[in-house]
Amino acid sequence: MGIKKTIAKFCEDMSLVMKGAFDFKSKSTTFLKKEAYDAQDNFILLCFGDLLGLPLPTSYYTIELLPYLAEDLEAWERRMIRRNEIWQEKWAEFDFFG
Amino acid sequence: MGQGKKYIFFGGKGGVGKTTCSAAFSKCCAKTGDRTLVVSTDPAHSLADIFGVSVGPEIELLEENLYGLEIDSEIERNKYSERIKAQLTAGISPVIIEEIQRQIDAANISPGAEEAAIFDKFIEIIKEKGDEFDRIVFDTAPTGHTLRLLSLPELMGGWMDNLISKRKSALSLMSMIHSGEKAKQEIIDRDPILSILQKRKAKFEQAREILIDSDTMEFIFVINPEKLPILETKKAIEILMKYRIPVGGVIVNRTIPEEYSKGNEFWSKRKTLELQYMDMINKEFPGRVLTILPLLEEDIKGDNLDTVSEHFIKVKAKMLGEKLK
Repeated sequence: MGIKKTIAKFCEDMSLVMKGAFDFKSKSTTFLKKEAYDAQDNFILLCFGDLLGLPLPTSYYTIELLPYLAEDLEAWERRMIRRNEIWQEKWAEFDFFG
Repeated sequence: MGQGKKYIFFGGKGGVGKTTCSAAFSKCCAKTGDRTLVVSTDPAHSLADIFGVSVGPEIELLEENLYGLEIDSEIERNKYSERIKAQLTAGISPVIIEEIQRQIDAANISPGAEEAAIFDKFIEIIKEKGDEFDRIVFDTAPTGHTLRLLSLPELMGGWMDNLISKRKSALSLMSMIHSGEKAKQEIIDRDPILSILQKRKAKFEQAREILIDSDTMEFIFVINPEKLPILETKKAIEILMKYRIPVGGVIVNRTIPEEYSKGNEFWSKRKTLELQYMDMINKEFPGRVLTILPLLEEDIKGDNLDTVSEHFIKVKAKMLGEKLK
């Protein structure tokens, strides 16, 4: 391998490192946020899946949680219905071109 | 008095005589000096019909030493949803409240709600009234319903665990965004949702402890000397054993009295068949037959009930597992 190629490779790696380093904060927070909201949505799904037509054995017991989750429920329902674009969302998580 | 099992469940296939046995046995306990409560967990109640007096959704005195109650799932479900609706007022917009109330009403009639309500009430009775009575006799619904009822704590306990862990992980992710690692524990400790889930889980654990306590609890199956009740009960016992719920034994009900089985072709044939099934019973439930009751010439009520309960007095100790312990 020629020295030029080695230098070129090093520069390319370096640029990736820099990009990663400087972009890190915003990207990881975005991912983290997304993951957090997903986790929250999944929790509500396990509690109130019957709103979307998924019968759950616990639905009698989870209505106890309604006073605390009531405010989130409407937005959650909208997000869940949008989840049929799930593949689109999944692809967006892999940042190929950024 | 106070000896032997305290909570006695009578179960079995539909129509074998569960209510007869529960009623007669609770009478037998009351007569022998035990302060007794008889509770029906069957959504289609028949205690009142057998006692010939009305039995309500709250504990009532039926006769000396004997109290009764028929759990009314609808009343229990309404009490529960009213309690939740009452918590909804603080700081939530009226539009959302209306939506939520619809959701509560829907959950109230969802599959499983009826059983859940009956289950909660019967655990409440054991926990709150257990000390007031020497015996609590449960007249249960036919096998399938009752097995689902008794397996609830196991199943729901698992669900609660799952919900708790999902909630915790969602909260810790949220805390990472907003406030960092330090506040995480505080957020988890203060979360009202987690605290409700954990309380619920604790209730299921308590229920489970009550149901598997072989010192105080037993499940007695009533069968007839016929094929289907025997087979169904065999399967039911296996399921209860899987859940470690103590099985006290079986009562064979509706056997043809000897004196009628002779000299009549029809009845002697039936008796021959019955004896075959008795063999099967002894083979399937070795050492577990508590007592054998005859087929009666009339419907069970008043005097008849006394006859059966007199019979139970003779085998009471055995039925309460005093010697078997």
